[in-house]
Amino acid sequence: MVMSVRDWAVRFGEASDRDPTIGAMARYFTCRYLWDMGTQKVIVDVRDGKVHSINTEPQPLDAYDFALRASPATWREFAKPVPEPMYHGIWSASFRRDLKIEGNILVMMQNLRNFTVQFELLRKVGVPV
Amino acid sequence: MAKHSPVIGRYVTIDVDGYEYKVFYLRNGSGVPLVCQHTAGCHNHQWRGLLEDESITSRYDVIAYDLARHGKSDPPLNKEWWKEEYVLTARHYMNFIIALCDALELDRPIFMGSSFGGNVALQLALHHPDKFRAVIPVEAAEHAPGFYLDWWRHPHANAAQVCASGVWDLMAPQSPDMDRWLTWHYYTQGSEAFKGDLFFYSVDHDLRGKLGNIDTRRCPVIMMTGTYDYLTPPEATENTARQIPGGIYIEMEDIGHFPMSENYPLFAVYLKEALRLIEART
Repeated sequence: MVMSVRDWAVRFGEASDRDPTIGAMARYFTCRYLWDMGTQKVIVDVRDGKVHSINTEPQPLDAYDFALRASPATWREFAKPVPEPMYHGIWSASFRRDLKIEGNILVMMQNLRNFTVQFELLRKVGVPV
Repeated sequence: MAKHSPVIGRYVTIDVDGYEYKVFYLRNGSGVPLVCQHTAGCHNHQWRGLLEDESITSRYDVIAYDLARHGKSDPPLNKEWWKEEYVLTARHYMNFIIALCDALELDRPIFMGSSFGGNVALQLALHHPDKFRAVIPVEAAEHAPGFYLDWWRHPHANAAQVCASGVWDLMAPQSPDMDRWLTWHYYTQGSEAFKGDLFFYSVDHDLRGKLGNIDTRRCPVIMMTGTYDYLTPPEATENTARQIPGGIYIEMEDIGHFPMSENYPLFAVYLKEALRLIEART
C-alpha cells in the first residue's frame, strides 16, 4: 500500500532533520525544490539544513528553485534499499533513465553535497507513489 | 612500534613536450611493473588498497603516480600555467605516461587506468603497443561524451563539493560507506584539474572506427567495467571490447566507476583474473 503524501512528508522531514551527515554541514544548505513523481508532487523548502516545510499540494504558481521529474516507477526504484543500477542517483538516472533535472540547476549545484544525501534518504523513507 | 606502510613515495622530474613536471609516485612490490593511473580530478591514493595488497605486490611492482596538476605532482614548473586554461589532450597524456615509464626504466609495464585512465589505456594500446606488456582499461569505452561540463569549476558554486558529490553516483550503493566517502574526499581535492581532464575523457578521446587497428598480439587488452557505472555503462565497454580483435571484457558486479577505491576487495577479485589472463598471453 502506498503511504499518503502527508505521512511521507512527516517521515522525510524527520529523517532529514536528524541525519548526521547533513547535520555535519547543515549551515547554508538552503534551497527549495520540486519532486515531480508523476501522480504526486511535493515542494521541499530547506533552510540552513532543516526542512522548513513540505508543500504536498503544489499549485501552478508555487515557486521553487529546481525540479526533478520522473515517472512513478522510477521514483519507486529510487526508494529501494539498494536501487538497481542507473536508479542509484540523480546523475545516473538523468544520464540513463527518464529523470529530468530542470530549473535553476546552479542552486542544486550549490547545495549538491547535502541534496544528494537528502535524496538518498528515500531509500529509508520510501516514496508516496 | 610504529605501523609503517611498505609503500614508498618519491618524486621524479620528467620532460613532456617541453613541459617540466616533477612527478610524485607511490611504489611497492617486485616483479612485473604494473603502472596505475588514477581517475580524472583525483590522485594516486585511489590505489591505496592495491599498493598494500601483498598477494599482488609479491609478484608485481605496483607504481601509482599522480598525473601533473594532481595530488603532489605540480603543474609544469617551467611554464606560466596559470595564464592558460588547462585542457588535456590524448597526445600529451600518452607522452607523459611514456616519459614517466622511461624515466623509471620500466621494462614493458602493464598499464592500468580507470575512467580517463582507462580511455588512455586504449589509446596506448593503439598507438604504443610495443611499450606495454598489456593494458587494463577499467571503466573505459571507445568514446565517452557528456562529462565536459562547466559545473566542475563554476565560480558561483563550491567546486570541491560539486566535483565530489557530482561523481558520488558513479559508485555503487553496496560499496562501503568509508570507502565511498574517502573517494568523495579525494574528489574535493582536484576540482581545478577535473574539467581539463575531462576534455580528454569526453572530447579528445574518440576511437570510434579505430579499434580494429589495436593489435592485441603485441599488447593484450583486458577491459573491466562495473555494473553501477552510468558514465561508461557495461554495454559501452562490452561494445568497445568486441570491436578490438582479441579484446577481452570482464563485467564487475555490484561496483561502480571507481572500483579500486570504492571497494578494493571486490575489485581485487576481478583484477587477479585480468592479471592471470595477461600472464597466459605474455
